[in-house]
Amino acid sequence: MPKSPNDLADELGQMMPSAILLTITDETYFDAIRGIADIFANKNKLNTIYISAAIPSQSIIDVLSILEVNLENTYFVDCISHIMVGSTKRHQNVHLVESPTMLENIMLKVEYLMKKGGDRQNVVVLDSINMLGIHNSPKILSEFVHILNNNMRARNAYIIIFTVESFGGSDEIGNLMSFVCDVEMNMKKEGEP
Amino acid sequence: MAIEKPKKDPATVLRDRCPTGIEGLDNILNGGIPRGNTILFTGSCGTGKTTLSLEFLVHGAIAGENSLFVSVTESSDKLMKNVIPYDFFDETLIKKGTLVFVDMPVIYERLGLTEMELSLEDVNTIVKAIGDLVDELSIKRLVLDSVTSVCYRLKTEEKIREFILKIGKTLSDRGCTSMLISEISPSAERYSLYGVEEAIADGIVLMGNLERRGDLLRTLQVVKMRGTNHSRAKYVLDLTPAGILLVPLLKGGSGGGTT
Repeated sequence: MPKSPNDLADELGQMMPSAILLTITDETYFDAIRGIADIFANKNKLNTIYISAAIPSQSIIDVLSILEVNLENTYFVDCISHIMVGSTKRHQNVHLVESPTMLENIMLKVEYLMKKGGDRQNVVVLDSINMLGIHNSPKILSEFVHILNNNMRARNAYIIIFTVESFGGSDEIGNLMSFVCDVEMNMKKEGEP
Repeated sequence: MAIEKPKKDPATVLRDRCPTGIEGLDNILNGGIPRGNTILFTGSCGTGKTTLSLEFLVHGAIAGENSLFVSVTESSDKLMKNVIPYDFFDETLIKKGTLVFVDMPVIYERLGLTEMELSLEDVNTIVKAIGDLVDELSIKRLVLDSVTSVCYRLKTEEKIREFILKIGKTLSDRGCTSMLISEISPSAERYSLYGVEEAIADGIVLMGNLERRGDLLRTLQVVKMRGTNHSRAKYVLDLTPAGILLVPLLKGGSGGGTT
């Protein structure tokens, strides 16, 4: 049985700011986002910086709006929409990166949003490592995650990296994630297959 | 056994710093530009030289240091229209005279320098005029944008050398930290158009456009900086309303991440 958004938020609430690898499935995808961006972040007065490399930020915003999630303190670094021809609608909290290969620009946008956020603490969501792996070599991706995680640690921010269970992907990235993340979590309840 | 304390590098201890206010750059420079240094900011078009130099002046003005922008290539009115609307910019800095803009063509006109090619005597006149401005306005930070355009009217290496040496000394003697903006072509294998400026300046900051798999990244690299230890690595920068932000360039393993 999958974890509910509240279960996830409770678990996160018991942790110090850290780098967390969160395994999700297609079914638990939006529950994970709700658990982090809505319940956990709002309860703890955190800004959410959501790096969307899987689907355009507008699709996430549309679903979360239907679920009546307050997005006032959620900011998107969208690496997908710019490469989609004809995508024009853009929420005010969305910052575009030209391509998911511009990893430095993703870091710069996160940096900018943290600076703009002032004293508020942040939770950064990277959605997902698998999708970034499609566009980038494991070596440069490893370097990116290593630097991003360390920057977030230095700023006392949570970083939650999504990995999609059914995706598979390279062992190199999987090994790296285990190495650079402090905690591994799953949207399934403990002890369940 | 007593452990001997490591000796501090006198260059990094003695020199007072002029923080640029750009957090990433100040980290690279161990706290900022050594005060009184004349730095060549060089790069091809669209790399962010003018924006960076303006931010340096704005932060200086906010900190109470009178700052002067000498615009050679375009009028300061036009410049201000195209500048990024910084969150931290305050127009009263200009009204109070803490942040001053002067157009070089106006200086040429007032000095009666109408000839296209300037003489050695003209060089002395220009340097004196800038020195007088610095004295009169108690300027602590100065940007000359661009030195290449001034050098274009000097023509010979001798006059260019004389100009750079004298302007550097004039500003340094007054405790003024300055940025000379230099334009180079993207394929240039040196740091300045005439090859003289780079040899004389106290520091060289190279700004560029790096193409990687079709993506164009703005980069910054401190090549030389007298009076301080500094990183010589390449950084990627972004021009944002919160100011210039820098992150390390990802190398992607030994292949450099460029393929």
